[in-house]
Amino acid sequence: MSLNTPLRQVLGLGSAKSGVHHWWLQRLTSVALVPLSIWFVVSLLSLPALDHGTVAAWMHHALTALLLVLLVLTAAWHSRLGLQVIIEDYVHTSGTRTLLLVLVGFAHVFLAAAGVFAILRVAAGGSA
Amino acid sequence: MAEFRLPANSRIAKGITHPAPPGARALREVRIYRFNPDSGENPRVDTFSLDTASCGPMVLDALIQLKATVDSSITFRRSCREGICGSCAMNINGVNRLACTTALQELSGDIRIYPLPHMPVVKDLVPDLTNFYAQYAAVKPWLQTRTPAPPDRERLQSKEEQERIDRPAACILCACCSTSCPSYWWNSDRFLGPAALLAAYRWIIDSRDEATGERLDELEDPFRLYRCHTIMNCTDVCPKDLNPARAIAEIKKMLVERQV
Repeated sequence: MSLNTPLRQVLGLGSAKSGVHHWWLQRLTSVALVPLSIWFVVSLLSLPALDHGTVAAWMHHALTALLLVLLVLTAAWHSRLGLQVIIEDYVHTSGTRTLLLVLVGFAHVFLAAAGVFAILRVAAGGSA
Repeated sequence: MAEFRLPANSRIAKGITHPAPPGARALREVRIYRFNPDSGENPRVDTFSLDTASCGPMVLDALIQLKATVDSSITFRRSCREGICGSCAMNINGVNRLACTTALQELSGDIRIYPLPHMPVVKDLVPDLTNFYAQYAAVKPWLQTRTPAPPDRERLQSKEEQERIDRPAACILCACCSTSCPSYWWNSDRFLGPAALLAAYRWIIDSRDEATGERLDELEDPFRLYRCHTIMNCTDVCPKDLNPARAIAEIKKMLVERQV
């Protein structure tokens, strides 16, 4: 039981004075993902075949590899921001929430790094 | 962590069915959520037969009629009966609205009346709005200035400046918007909700107010403001046709504007 006033409950620990950055980046990454995703799908569909050799040859182009790296980084960033919102919305136990946010952050950094590494390795012409 | 059912003591039990009044001419079924904390029983939904021929046109008239003639223990808030006090906000046929401005005629089928969603229930159709009012108080809904008021007259505002706050200031704090917002349902302890944010916006854009920056500082918070995901239920249900969703979007734009 708490005898705090309702106003004290609402004011809580005060304003975090952050959130604009998150909101703005979520919008920026979604705008960037529109051309990147269209480019990615159209490029794949316009390849003569989708076997490993053809796709690897396509990825040898510098511009292709660069855009793929951007796509992976932007998508990972956007996904992390979005999952953070979902966790904050639905997970109400503060310990679990913090833990999930940290895990989601690590997972995204790992996935983004793995994606970039894979692209660079194929683009640099290494054997598969 | 996740709850998929209502707590055991909130589940709705079978209620009482009251017989139709003798000599009734135009019957309509009205189902009303009933909860009495003193009884120790679960909430239930009672079924009433309303003779619309001998009743006023609005849902509030129906409630008053049933309270007067069938069950005097039906509990609800009401005052002005003309949509300006905001007391009789309730969930009628699945939509939050004012009982006094909702005509029985505009509702199809049976009439189902519940308290505003996802709020603690004091009794029957009376929700506990303590947290809601505290959130309103938290945004400091009054004029804050550093410039002293002119000694001989009011603080002046142009006609255009007044028109900007004219609509947001028409909010009657009925809580229809906040209690229709899923984000508010899940996080009402930290998310201020559309009503309080509309009130904050009303003071942020007030041409006489000099605490705009401080007001924005106080709102810039992942929970207080950014739990709004533009679901727009608030604007859909507002009985005064106000637009809290737009107000929140404008606040978000101002927060970006002062950074870029």
